[in-house]
Amino acid sequence: MSSAFDILWVEKYRPRSLDDIVNQEEIVRRLKQFVRERNMPHLLFAGPPGTGKTTAAHALARDLYGDNYRQYFLELNASDERGINVIREKVKEFARSRTPPGVPFKIVLLDEADNMTADAQQALRRLMELYTASTRFILIANYPSKIIDPIQSRCAFFRFTPLKKEDVVERLRFIADNEGVEYDIDALETIYEISEGDMRRAINVLQAAAALGKVSVEAVFKVVGMARPREVREMIKTALSGDFAAARELLRKLMIEYGLSGSDVVRQIHREIFGGELKLPEEARVLIADYLGEIHFRLVEGSDDDIQLSAFLAWLAMLGKKLGV
Amino acid sequence: MPDRKRRSELPWVIKYRPKRVDDVVDQDQAKRVLVPWLREWAAGRPPSKRAALLYGPPGVGKTSLVEAAASELGFELVELNASDYRRAEDIRRIVGSAASKRPLWGRGIIILLDEIDGISAREDAGGLAALLEIIPRTANPIVMTANDPWKEQLRPLRDACLMVEFKRLTSGQIIGILQRICELEGLFCEKDALKYIADRSEGDLRAAINDLEAVAGGYGKVTLGIVKEVVRGRDKSMELWKALSEVFYARYSWQAKRAITNSEEDYESMMAWINDNIPRKYSNVEDYFRAYDALARASLFLSRARYIDWSMLSYVFDLMGPGVAFARKHPHAKQRYSYPERIKLLARMRSVREVRERVAEKLASRLLTSRATVKNEVIPILTIIFREAPSPVEAARLALGYSLSEDEVRFLAGPRSQEVLKAIERIRKSRASGAGAEEVEARRERPRGQLTLFGEPAGQRRSRASRRRKAGGRRGQRTLF
Repeated sequence: MSSAFDILWVEKYRPRSLDDIVNQEEIVRRLKQFVRERNMPHLLFAGPPGTGKTTAAHALARDLYGDNYRQYFLELNASDERGINVIREKVKEFARSRTPPGVPFKIVLLDEADNMTADAQQALRRLMELYTASTRFILIANYPSKIIDPIQSRCAFFRFTPLKKEDVVERLRFIADNEGVEYDIDALETIYEISEGDMRRAINVLQAAAALGKVSVEAVFKVVGMARPREVREMIKTALSGDFAAARELLRKLMIEYGLSGSDVVRQIHREIFGGELKLPEEARVLIADYLGEIHFRLVEGSDDDIQLSAFLAWLAMLGKKLGV
Repeated sequence: MPDRKRRSELPWVIKYRPKRVDDVVDQDQAKRVLVPWLREWAAGRPPSKRAALLYGPPGVGKTSLVEAAASELGFELVELNASDYRRAEDIRRIVGSAASKRPLWGRGIIILLDEIDGISAREDAGGLAALLEIIPRTANPIVMTANDPWKEQLRPLRDACLMVEFKRLTSGQIIGILQRICELEGLFCEKDALKYIADRSEGDLRAAINDLEAVAGGYGKVTLGIVKEVVRGRDKSMELWKALSEVFYARYSWQAKRAITNSEEDYESMMAWINDNIPRKYSNVEDYFRAYDALARASLFLSRARYIDWSMLSYVFDLMGPGVAFARKHPHAKQRYSYPERIKLLARMRSVREVRERVAEKLASRLLTSRATVKNEVIPILTIIFREAPSPVEAARLALGYSLSEDEVRFLAGPRSQEVLKAIERIRKSRASGAGAEEVEARRERPRGQLTLFGEPAGQRRSRASRRRKAGGRRGQRTLF
């Protein structure tokens, strides 16, 4: 035990400068070019989660403005902000603020931009044009196809690819060595397989496994199992077995003890449907996904989560009876 | 008025309880059946049916008639509360011993079991069976009361009992009683006010007297304005219980719909009540589904009404009333109504969510990601570290690293909260006492590339810390973010 404080390894080992980013070489090369020229267009970073999009944006800003880059860098998350009006207000205020020395623009980072509706994106496009003299936007998206064409055509496009196995394993090994963690190399490879090239997830799994003791393949699987409340799977199974009341007890436990919202529960259920842990006829999985989607939609429309999920469990109970599961 | 004060110590329902059979309002039919049956007992000739089941709506005089008849015919009354006869052994012990007592000097006992329909077929099955064993052998009359004697599980009891029906009282009869009480209490009252109370009581004299007393006690007079104000709020759960029954037992769709639209409860609470009581009143998986499907669609229409157009509200009523009522194709389940869990737990749920939201916000800005990602990916990882790690030290250090508050630690650590909180305290203390302090400082300014901090022998700590500090100094004051 060497220190009082600790922070999560994803934060601790995040690259701070473009120089620290070891993969996505082509992207880094182009970004460094912007830093040298002290100019850049609007950017669109697209790619799967955990491939370094947000990290690259922050690193770019730090290299442009120095360590106190945050005053010239407005970070917004489309899925956290309440609508385009809030975004507009924040951008407006930010555009009025002090300009950085030596660089003619400030940066607005809009994460998860693909979660915005098409209408909101239209408003965003106008916003980008309005403040283009003093600000550049970096839009981040998992699915670039969800970004409307007029925005795509105004941005330089960067496609981030899932990290390669060697890169992930190498990074995990570096962290593990640094932290003095005992590990099997197989386990690091397993972490890569599980996290599918998502570095954030890989590092998180490593840290949780390390907290349990030696990082072995078993420990890694244990962590992955524990990271999803087992009540979710149990709830689905219980409902399918026809015990509606018990399934609903579990639903309440999830919502109360874990503080999950209705849509969190929906998301968790969705992860389970196609998993091997549930023994189901394949076509039943599709039926469940379909009905779950309907429930999800109703939640988005603002209806009561406890009632909608109760209806889902009752439907599962009936399905279970029909299938004789 | 000292006299009035003294008298008012007793609740009026007891104070004005009928003393004689003739004082019991109406119920002539019941009197004609019950009184001769009791006379047979009193005369030492136990009738063939040794128990009587008095049934009818609440507050119409079932218990009152038994009490009045007992005192008039010289019986001693042994009353057992609903909660006393749940289990078979209790029944045998309490009822059994009373039933086998031989009357001395001619003074018999009446065993009174109130609200026998509260007995549940499943939970109290043994109790009912024990009762059926005792009835044929009892040496004393057993009298039971029930609101709804037609429940399936009461069938064997119906066969063993003399059935005595009580009728709902009319509004006029109730007004008459209320008026007499007002006279005896010297209370100013408006006739309209009494009528309002009587109408609202739906034939329940006990409820009407309670309402009257509530108004008189609070205001000293009974006017329509006051009554409307006071009576509206009376016993909401009773109102709800009625409304729910009208939904779950509706025979026509208008009944189910009226139950919703006439309910004093707002439709959202009504939804919560229906939501929790469907599995208590319905027995079949398919019925559950149809009922929940209707309720879920009602909830959907409610959000449409709220966000799009209030005229959608009528579909809410259609679906949560008739929609739920006619989802049932199988027999009812017979469990008692329950108070919605959801409402009970809402406060707790809300505070857990708030804490979760706060943790997500704290971490999201540090990890450069959305709150949603933190909730779905990072909090589960932290939960493992806080709950499953063999030692609480790592959790404690993370808690300090992110300045987590006590309730945030509790949220993450769950059953291990105490352990983690103690570890945090220990670290704080040892930090305050020296060695740790400079270390912390060094870590704050730690440049990248100098991360080898952990898992090394404690002996090397100090020298490494100072080395790092030097390194930090060289690179100057750095903010990490």
